[in-house]
Amino acid sequence: MSTAIDDAGDRRGKRVMWTYIVCGLSIFTLMLLVGILLRGSQAAWFALDAGVFYSLLSLHGVGMLTALTISGLGTLWYLVNRETPLNEGVAYVAFSLFVGGVAAVIVSVVVGHYGALWTMLYPLPFVGTYWPSWATGAWLIGTLLVMVGFTIWCAQILGALVVRFGGLNGMLGIDYVLRNRAFVQSGKEPPAPEMFAAAITAIDGFIAATAGLLVGIALLVHWLDPTVALDPLWAKNLTYMFGHTFANLTMYMAVAGIYVGLPLCTKRSYHTSVQLTVAWWATLTFVIIAYFHHLYMDFAQAQSVQYIGEIASYLAAIPVVVVTVYGGVLLVHRSGMRWTLGSMFLFAGMIGWVVGGFAAVLDATIPVNVDLHNTLWVPGHFHTYLLEGVVLFTLGWVFVNLEARSGGQTSALVRWLVGVGMFGGGALFLLSFYLAGAAGVPRRYAVEPAPGPFFANIATIGALVLLAGFILAASEALRLARLKPAHVPL
Amino acid sequence: MDSSVVLKIFLVVAVLAIVLLLWLANYRQSTPLAQSDLTARGYGIRRYWFWCTLIVAFAVYAITIPAFPYRKAQASVNARHYSVIAQQYGFTLPAVVPLDTPVVFDVTAKDVNHGFGIYDPGGRVITQVQAMPLYVNHLAVTFTVPGRYRVRCLEFCGIAHAAMQGSFDVK
Repeated sequence: MSTAIDDAGDRRGKRVMWTYIVCGLSIFTLMLLVGILLRGSQAAWFALDAGVFYSLLSLHGVGMLTALTISGLGTLWYLVNRETPLNEGVAYVAFSLFVGGVAAVIVSVVVGHYGALWTMLYPLPFVGTYWPSWATGAWLIGTLLVMVGFTIWCAQILGALVVRFGGLNGMLGIDYVLRNRAFVQSGKEPPAPEMFAAAITAIDGFIAATAGLLVGIALLVHWLDPTVALDPLWAKNLTYMFGHTFANLTMYMAVAGIYVGLPLCTKRSYHTSVQLTVAWWATLTFVIIAYFHHLYMDFAQAQSVQYIGEIASYLAAIPVVVVTVYGGVLLVHRSGMRWTLGSMFLFAGMIGWVVGGFAAVLDATIPVNVDLHNTLWVPGHFHTYLLEGVVLFTLGWVFVNLEARSGGQTSALVRWLVGVGMFGGGALFLLSFYLAGAAGVPRRYAVEPAPGPFFANIATIGALVLLAGFILAASEALRLARLKPAHVPL
Repeated sequence: MDSSVVLKIFLVVAVLAIVLLLWLANYRQSTPLAQSDLTARGYGIRRYWFWCTLIVAFAVYAITIPAFPYRKAQASVNARHYSVIAQQYGFTLPAVVPLDTPVVFDVTAKDVNHGFGIYDPGGRVITQVQAMPLYVNHLAVTFTVPGRYRVRCLEFCGIAHAAMQGSFDVK
């Protein structure tokens, strides 16, 4: 693939990317273990004190999202750097803030036993707490540092893309769609698909981070001076505007793996099309207000917002999934592609995206949400989306790079074992959430009512099988990384 | 909408999607085609697939609007109102609620956000609403099955969240 930078620039870009990805996947591994502890405790394999359970759940939630965000941002940074050279110092400043934020959150949980979860719905972090006040402050400062790092990343990418494509018009492919014939006849080319992923992440990320900073600073002010009161509904809106968008964008970061990784596996190319561009516009517009579905059960919220919420949730996700996955399948279909760990993860990630996305769309349908809101269905869909979608895209991207760099292959036996572990174990783990959710088992219960513990047993077994598959994949990644470079260009 | 029906729809669609995608990925990989041989037909189909999905999305949206819960409380002008107050870690609830009669629960919280989730005697969630400090949410329900209904907190509210429950009788 042609790039706009020289070899030295590419090497610097790769260094940034691997710094982000290795850090992200390391945090992910730690959080995976924490998650298994939580599910094992719900299955009564051992007893966790409720306070410890909620502290670990707080860490697991924010840690996972931060881990996947860091990995995705590293990948996108590298891809944008190939298109238009970026200052790596800025990337390392943002990275330092992420690391500082994670450290503050870990101190807050491990030392301070903070336990108001990553959503920290006001006034919860300050009322009925079983942890010292400083732990709430450390948690708030930690999450604010992550938001500031994210804002810096978004600003850098946004600025670079605007300059590279001559303004928002070029960056978002507006002329390409609205004046397509003239655009094509002039010999111009629209941005590559992965540039849309970067642009939408940067724009919506910037807006979401602003909302997050606003509510985060307000909470910090309340922490410093409890007489300053906030409106709970206002705080809830901003919290979810940031939180939902932040979580959703991890997918749009990782999806670059399809646009760039799958073409390498199939020796075909993924082109920008009018449908793809329009689909990304839909995501750009609606992902920022799709969070309304988190407040469906807040009847005090303006009714118009509830009515917008359902259709916005559909339009934020459906067009881009439909177009991207269709294009991805078209790349693979009869391409003569050999299955490697890289191609297997990328393709399986598309399946996870479709299945998790469909479960999310069902839950975003208001008459369905009335029964499923805050049941285990909710972690069911976002674990599918994240674990069998975002994580697989990330691993797929990692392996495509390692396989291209080393020219090394993974044996069929190891591929099968990894597949059985990560997909078989994953299916068992995820199915238990859906079955328990449909049976009305609430989420975020340290001790679940029946039939929760029965499904938690199945989930824990599934998670352990998944962990075995993940460890095998990680050891295979290390083996490929140690092989002598074969100088296959990426 | 009954959760068991939603679960069945989900499982059927998920299995079909997985089988279809795997079949498309593995179909005749040993006899590859040039990308140009697939592009015109493939992208032609995608155009219809794209618009069909959008039409289905808008149709589902339109169909579900009448089942939205928001106007029910306003429409239940003659309903009896019952106050519900949530507080770490319990509910102030009515002891008895009438059968086959529209009722409205006026739900609020004294301290932090809680959830007011109603489970029928069979243990199924039949409806819910959030309980939030400074706000009152009006939840309209007509109970058609007598028995003891359990209430669980469905919004994380602190260390004893899992123990926060109550009940009332419908007769």
